[in-house]
Amino acid sequence: MPMHALKDALSFGDLPASERIGFAIFIAFCLVFPWISKGSFAQAVMIQFLIFCLYGLGWNLIGGYGGQVALGQAKNVGMSAYTVALFMVWWDVPFWFSTPIGVIIATVESFILGYFLLRLKGHYFAIATICVSLVWQQLFVNWDLIGGARGVELPLKETPNFVYMQFTSPIYYHYFAFVLVMGAILFMNWFRKSRLGYQLRAISANEEVAESLGINIHWVKVKAYCITGVFAGMGGAFYAVYYNYIDPFSVMHLELSIMIALMTMIGGAGSMWGPIIGAMILIPMDRYLGAWLGGSGIVGVDFMIYAFMVMVIAAYEPRGIWGIIEKARRRR
Amino acid sequence: METLLSTTISGLLMGMLFALVALGLAIIFGVMDIVNFAHGEFLMVGMYAAFLTATGLSMEPLLTLPVSAVICFILGMGSYYLLVRYLLKGPMLAQLLGTFGLMIFIRYLAMAIFGPDYKTLEQGLLIRPSINWGPVMISYPKLGAAVISVTAFGAVYWLINRTRLGMALKATALDVEAAGYMGINTEKMRGLAWGLGGATVGIAGALLTNFYYVFPTVGLLFVMIAFATVALGGFGSIKGAFIAGLIIGLIWDFGGTYVGPEYKFALIYLTYFLVIILRPQGLFGW
Amino acid sequence: MALLEVIGLTKKFVGVVANDRISFEIEKGEIVGLIGPNGAGKTTLFNCIVGYHKPDQGTVKFNGKPITGFKPFQTNRAGIGRTFQIMSISGSLSVSENVMVGSFCRVSDSRTARQEAAEILNLMELEQEAQARMNELPIAAQKRVGLAMALATKPKILMLDEVAAGLNPRETEEMVALLQKIHAAKDLTLFVTEHVMEVVMPISQRIIVLDGGQKIAEGKPRDIANDERVIRAYLGEKYVEGRKH
Repeated sequence: MPMHALKDALSFGDLPASERIGFAIFIAFCLVFPWISKGSFAQAVMIQFLIFCLYGLGWNLIGGYGGQVALGQAKNVGMSAYTVALFMVWWDVPFWFSTPIGVIIATVESFILGYFLLRLKGHYFAIATICVSLVWQQLFVNWDLIGGARGVELPLKETPNFVYMQFTSPIYYHYFAFVLVMGAILFMNWFRKSRLGYQLRAISANEEVAESLGINIHWVKVKAYCITGVFAGMGGAFYAVYYNYIDPFSVMHLELSIMIALMTMIGGAGSMWGPIIGAMILIPMDRYLGAWLGGSGIVGVDFMIYAFMVMVIAAYEPRGIWGIIEKARRRR
Repeated sequence: METLLSTTISGLLMGMLFALVALGLAIIFGVMDIVNFAHGEFLMVGMYAAFLTATGLSMEPLLTLPVSAVICFILGMGSYYLLVRYLLKGPMLAQLLGTFGLMIFIRYLAMAIFGPDYKTLEQGLLIRPSINWGPVMISYPKLGAAVISVTAFGAVYWLINRTRLGMALKATALDVEAAGYMGINTEKMRGLAWGLGGATVGIAGALLTNFYYVFPTVGLLFVMIAFATVALGGFGSIKGAFIAGLIIGLIWDFGGTYVGPEYKFALIYLTYFLVIILRPQGLFGW
Repeated sequence: MALLEVIGLTKKFVGVVANDRISFEIEKGEIVGLIGPNGAGKTTLFNCIVGYHKPDQGTVKFNGKPITGFKPFQTNRAGIGRTFQIMSISGSLSVSENVMVGSFCRVSDSRTARQEAAEILNLMELEQEAQARMNELPIAAQKRVGLAMALATKPKILMLDEVAAGLNPRETEEMVALLQKIHAAKDLTLFVTEHVMEVVMPISQRIIVLDGGQKIAEGKPRDIANDERVIRAYLGEKYVEGRKH
């Protein structure tokens, strides 16, 4: 069994050649990027892109494959990021020890919440997740013990330090994020061929039919929701050590959750590459637009563009850019 | 004791306004089973319409009610014909995303046009000190807003339950196909439901402007309250929305007074959370 | 011991008794038909057995064990498969993947599931359609896919809801032949709810008739066809008159 799982994770043989080539180019690009990129801004955007790939790949499980529009990834990102940051501030606990704890906290929260909320369907579930996110957000903004609105700054070590994940060059962060993303992609590659993956897709296609095929739909959704929490938790832990500073607006905010969901939907929810395509378009656009418009004082143009894209996509091709690609391919 | 009484009255008054905010959501959901995520943004547009008309033309804020109502009616109707109509053909995910995208779009458009600043009205008929009624304090603007809110609520209730138009709306809600066979232009009815939903929330926005800040993200705060209200009352139930509005209003003011104003939103979301877990169909739902 | 036992099952909706103290048994290997006019309570009975409704009174036993109040996925795991009258499946799964989902009810390994799905598609003569999407297929093929999906969960009894609804006479005939084929090949028990007499009459060994929520008759197809009470309830007065000439 585990051998089979590993083989499934590593084998991309069932995909068309074009997809395999695309994936290989993606890997090669990520590997050489630190050596060809000029300037720290591009490098920062790249790392951000990788973090968002991780979030998006995770969200795709529940939101894409499962069809449950969860809008609360930020709270899992935040919980894990805060765990890593606060453990270091309070007790000087290194990244590698606090990260598992942070991920577990994020996952347990997902489990408890998912257990109750995933009985709700469609719109109700989406609204409920927003509402819970807002409760957490308010709590974190007002909770002085954990820094409140001021956030938490991670103390810097004197020398670069692997156990605390503190490096002077972004290259290390880049490769670490890349490893995380690759891990996530391999996991998704296993997942889409696994029992859980098929059952989840069956649920999103038609719950009544799925139930009649012996699927405990509530339980399967809860499992998927927890995995989504793990991905977000990993991303959050990395975020904390990469930026060395977190606050409720950067890791706990509803806007982050919305961004993750929109990005995945634009790329193509429920497809293997959708989240990556979404991140590839939105993150650079976001950063460069932000840098470009930043001076002029116009905020949120980026969000307007995404929102417009989402509306068009929802009205014409709910399966996003990947849906358009597949349609073109089937016609050929 | 005085605080308790003041808080209760203030909560009930606020609740009447919340009910009006939620009314549009209930109408739209009732007619076509779709949740309008952009509802809070409609409210925000209504608030800005009232604020800008009042300050720009140095007008009495209450006279801007029709302006907000008309603008939001057009906004609602426009949303239906330009977007929602197409969303209804797609899967649920698309419906969710579509109105969600609309919400983000309007919010950040407002942000780009008006900037993130908080604005308040300086003067108007309702903007005057509270009435002191013995030891009990009643906020003057809230009292006025509540009275108008209940009037508007009553008018819509009458429209839906006592007029031909209302009957056609209800028929569309029950069974689109059957309503179509009976010669009702269901497409128009749905557009109208969106217009009506927009207009009511526009009025609510104009009233709110008299005593609340106007800013681009104000919609999210109130839309969550509206969701809580509609969920509590039962989605699609107009009567339920009113009673639930009062309950939420009480939680709002009691929470603000006894727990702390920074937590009053959290308390409402928490209430919503509990309600939807314990009784997903709401108090008056089926 | 009977495979499926329904004892005194009652289900009320607001103001309506949809099923009124219904009792019957189905033996292993039988093919039983369930008929009755619209609103007789067939679908409710169906849903009470598979677990979409909770009966107000009465017991459902399967293999001797009570399964009353089980959720649909639990009745399925116990060994009750079902098909749907209309099955709208959207999303990204192909026909063979949908059948795999059924297999995953009993197996957790995707290789085994894929293999099982291929075998069932073979049996159902659906090899051509394996890579198609559900919504690209004609009704008759969709119904066969529905059957294949239910079969993949390896049920002991298969409950078929209006399996011929929407089919033309030739397709109906093919469906009857297919049902007989899988009955023999898989050692299945079939419980068929049906409007179309051309399906129920030739294949059922026994028929249960519902009217107004009550069981009004049970017996061999030939006896049922001649039972005046049944004919009156089900086919109406005119048919009874017609037969006398």
